[in-house]
Amino acid sequence: MANMTNLYDSSKCTACRACQVACKNWNQLPASIKPFKGNYQTHEDTDGDTFTIVLMNEVDNAASGVDWNFAKFQCMHCLDAACVKACPKGAYTKTEWGATIHDPEKCIGCQYCTYACPFGVPKHRKREDKITKCTLCADRVTAGLAPACATTCAPGALKFGDRDQLIEEARDRVNYLQANGFPNATIYGINELGGLNKLYILTDSPDKFGLPVNPKTYGTINFWQNWVQPYFGWLIPVALGASAVSFITTRLMADKHQEHPVEGGHE
Amino acid sequence: MQWIPEYRDDVPRVERFTWLARFTHWGHTVTFLLCLFTGLILFLDGVNWLAAIFGGYAGAGWVHRISALAMTALIGFGIVFGFKGVLIWIVDLLRFGFNDLKFLVLFPLEFFGFKVNVPPQTRFNGGEKGNSLVTPIMVFLLMISGYIMWFPGYFPASLVRVAYPTHDIAMIFATVMVCMHGYLGSFHPGSGESFWGMWKGTVREDWAKHHHAVWYEETYGSMAGEKPKTILGLPVFEEYKSKPKDAE
Ligand code: HEM
Ligand code: HEM
Ligand code: SF4
Ligand code: SF4
Ligand code: SF4
Repeated sequence: MANMTNLYDSSKCTACRACQVACKNWNQLPASIKPFKGNYQTHEDTDGDTFTIVLMNEVDNAASGVDWNFAKFQCMHCLDAACVKACPKGAYTKTEWGATIHDPEKCIGCQYCTYACPFGVPKHRKREDKITKCTLCADRVTAGLAPACATTCAPGALKFGDRDQLIEEARDRVNYLQANGFPNATIYGINELGGLNKLYILTDSPDKFGLPVNPKTYGTINFWQNWVQPYFGWLIPVALGASAVSFITTRLMADKHQEHPVEGGHE
Repeated sequence: MQWIPEYRDDVPRVERFTWLARFTHWGHTVTFLLCLFTGLILFLDGVNWLAAIFGGYAGAGWVHRISALAMTALIGFGIVFGFKGVLIWIVDLLRFGFNDLKFLVLFPLEFFGFKVNVPPQTRFNGGEKGNSLVTPIMVFLLMISGYIMWFPGYFPASLVRVAYPTHDIAMIFATVMVCMHGYLGSFHPGSGESFWGMWKGTVREDWAKHHHAVWYEETYGSMAGEKPKTILGLPVFEEYKSKPKDAE
């Protein structure tokens, strides 16, 4: 099955944050009220009860004074996802249409995924000691609906559909934007981290939107998952095996020269 | 076939470990092994049957944390109340010398039961000196990285990401040492007598002469009365190079 995803268009988003509300509503998430931090962004980051937020970046621009760059932020549903690899419980799975699904039944709250994710998306919900994050509304999609956030978006900044088709649409839109006052307009998510199952049309480079320009999985996490976990552990059975061999050979050799009592050992 | 060398009270015995050292060692062993088996569940990526032994994953998580706290407390207890013993231990490690190197070279042969002529050793032989260095360092790393993993929110994210591989590597090196160490300190026919030193506190006098000749001579033998050179008020002998006469 083809990958199905959301295309978010920053040039159409008005930062009304209806998507945040629709997400809370559909996923039955309680309000998470945060103190005012001097700008319009509701939350600094996603949290255990908030799967998506709209980032409101204020960026200096020599020509226009200041740009107000909006970006809807949530799990990127990476096609090759770091969280899937890091989780010791196999709590994460990829659906055949590209969503990264987290199973709270399996989760033990260790938070490895939080620190493995290049976007720091999975968040710990303290009261249950479980991780939560955006589901790409897999429950709705499998029932033939679009995600709650995409359904509610009034200006049409969120569109759900076939990833390949959306990439074509995004290319057209970016060409148009580049020709009409946004020379740095770009698409985010086609190749980042081997492809995200989330696409962004940005009117400027990703760093102006609070997104990492060239996201990478962490070297320490790769070393841990690709080297330490699969290979280093074999030293333990080697040590056990050597002890087992010694258990037998020491006794065989002690039998050979009987004049030495077993406990005599060396010398 | 014999498992552990028999405990003989019909022969002269000498004291090797105090009550406090033994209590700390075995308490640490139990908590370490509990941490190990509950930790392996995650290291091996979800071993359900092992988790079931500890009442499932949540249970294993709590056993890991409670054992970790108990282990930390025990180590603290051992260091505070057995401070002099720890110093004696450290000073003995600082005596690492030529005889220890020789021991380490010959050790693989002796391990598998070949007859070798090992030069006289101090309180801890070359292998035990290595174990005394590697294992405590690994346990220390396990504790530091473990608390970071337990309370990641209080530490920089990059440090948490370093703690993960650190915890695993330290676990692996510590466990490799403990596998060999636990075997040598029990079932190995040559060094198995040391088990009684750690269990009951005493070892056979003839075994002590054989395996730790320098320690024996300094503590109980021909040199016992001599006033040694001291570091921090603890005895340091220089005559480690030559074999004491009575050790034959
Ligand atoms: C003060 C001591 C220790 C603390 C605070 C500590 C804490 C932790 C924590 C928080 C975790 C994450 C898993 C979870 O949330 O349950 C963990 C995992 C683990 N611990 Fe420890 N631990 C300690 C000592 C040890 C020791 C002594 C061993 C074994 C020799 C050990 C072996 C492991 C292993 C193998 C894992 C799994 C790592 C993985 O998933 O790859 N830990 N520990
Ligand atoms: C598995 C069962 C174990 C047995 C049978 C055992 C046995 C012993 C014995 C007999 C000694 C005294 C050696 C001597 O006479 O000098 C000893 C010392 C020691 N043990 Fe253990 N032990 C075990 C587990 C552990 C564990 C889990 C640790 C730490 C992680 C540990 C750390 C030490 C250290 C650091 C020493 C002092 C240095 C040395 O003699 O190597 N032991 N042990
Ligand atoms: S963004 Fe993070 S949580 Fe989402 S799929 Fe990628 S690695 Fe996993
Ligand atoms: S917190 Fe849950 S989902 Fe995340 S790695 Fe641990 S078990 Fe897996
Ligand atoms: S896809 Fe669903 S879960 Fe994800 S942000 Fe949109 S409404 Fe929330």
